[in-house]
This record gives sequence, C-alpha cells and structure tokens, in this order.
Amino acid sequence: MFERFTQQARQIVEGAQGQARQLHSGRVGTEHLLLSLVAQAGSASADVLAAHGLTHDSVAESVRAYVGAGDLDADALTTLGIDLDAVRDRVEATFGPGALDGGPAGRNTGMIGHIPFTPRAKKVLELSLREAVALKSRTIADGHIALGLLREGEGLAMKVLADRGVDLEAVRRELRTALQA
Amino acid sequence: MADTGQVATAASSKDPAVGLTAVRSLRVLVERLEALQVQNARDQGWTWEQIAQLLGVTRQAVHKKYASGRGPLRRKD
Repeated sequence: MFERFTQQARQIVEGAQGQARQLHSGRVGTEHLLLSLVAQAGSASADVLAAHGLTHDSVAESVRAYVGAGDLDADALTTLGIDLDAVRDRVEATFGPGALDGGPAGRNTGMIGHIPFTPRAKKVLELSLREAVALKSRTIADGHIALGLLREGEGLAMKVLADRGVDLEAVRRELRTALQA
Repeated sequence: MADTGQVATAASSKDPAVGLTAVRSLRVLVERLEALQVQNARDQGWTWEQIAQLLGVTRQAVHKKYASGRGPLRRKD
C-alpha cells in the first residue's frame, strides 16, 4: 500500500511520527496525523484545513487540552524537585530515544526511533487507500489521508474538529475538489 | 527547571490536586524505569530471582509482572 503514497503523503506519515515524538507520545494516533497534515504548509489539504481555522497552532492547542500532560506530568514532578527532562535525557542516553515514553527500548527491536501507530491511525491510512480508489486515483495523496481521517470518524483528531466546530461536510467536499484539481 | 523558591512553594502546597498529580506522575515514572531496568537485566542474563532481590519483591511478583506477553514494554492502551 505504501508504494502508492505520493511523496507528500509519505511526508505526512513520517511527520506524524515526528509530531508524536515531540509530544512524548509512545504511539502515533489520529491527532498526530492531523497535526502533520496541517503542518505541511502549502499542501492542498493543509490549505483546505487552514481555511477552516485548522492551523498547527490551533490544532496543537486542542490536542493539548485533551491529552494534557498525560500520565507523566513534568510540571507536577517539578513540585517534587524532579526535572523530568533531565531524567528523560539520562534514560535515553542509556536505553535509546523514546525509551521513557514507551517507545521501543531500541537495542532489541532494531527499530530505533520508530513509534508504532495506534489501530485507529492505521485504519485511517487504510481508509485513505479506499478514498483514493473511490476517487479513481492511482496514488494516495495527502488529501486522501485527510479524507481517511474524516471517514474513520472517531479518535482524537475528530474530537478536535468537532470541538472547533468544523463543518465536516464542507471540508470533505473541498478536499475532494482540491484532489481533482 | 523552575527556580527553587517556586518549587518550595509548590511542594508545600496544600492543594490535593497538585500533590496527587505529582504522586501519580512519580508512580508512572517509577513503573517505566522499572520496566526498562528489568528488561535490561534480563537482556544481560539476570535471573528473575536476582532481579526480585534487588527490587525488594518476591520472584513470583516480578515474574508475574514482566515475564508474560511480549515483554515488559507492552502497553495496556
């Protein structure tokens, strides 16, 4: 399936890994796909999403509101005199990147730096293929991933869209138009 | 890291939300460090008995917690 992804679509998938890493998440979820989509300035889907108020800053803010600091709250630990960043640095120096955040411990897996996708995020990528087929496209572009995200319909990304009052039908329509342009 | 005065203020806070959140984060941190260390010890050929002794728990406890499934780093989510 991945061989059908356009260069830009691949960048979205790789970018989602980067977004997850930045947020110290052990998994790549739908919210990281969405963040990656809006971060690709100049791409067709980013333009459509931006027109509906979905910029990287606005989406990141909404995601943070849901995820919060997660199970590992750096600010809370600071109240105990523990510097989470310092702990993370030392643990990663010994066990590899992402070790403290549930990522692969590195040495055994041989997949250093790879963060696994949640089942829902995988489903989004599968659905992007289906969207491409439905639109009679031989390749899967970033817009198809965005449509896959909407088709999947659940997950944190959709909660963010719902919270921001995004007109999903309009986004869907505009994404399709942009893909056929 | 915040300056010492700030930390001291927060640490002496009577707000349960602050204290409980800190405790929860600390517990998560301990769990993750334990999983990494246990995995590392196993990789280096340590027995469950040796690991349990240093962790101050029974061999059964550490074995039950880490020996099943696909390794200690499996996540529940």
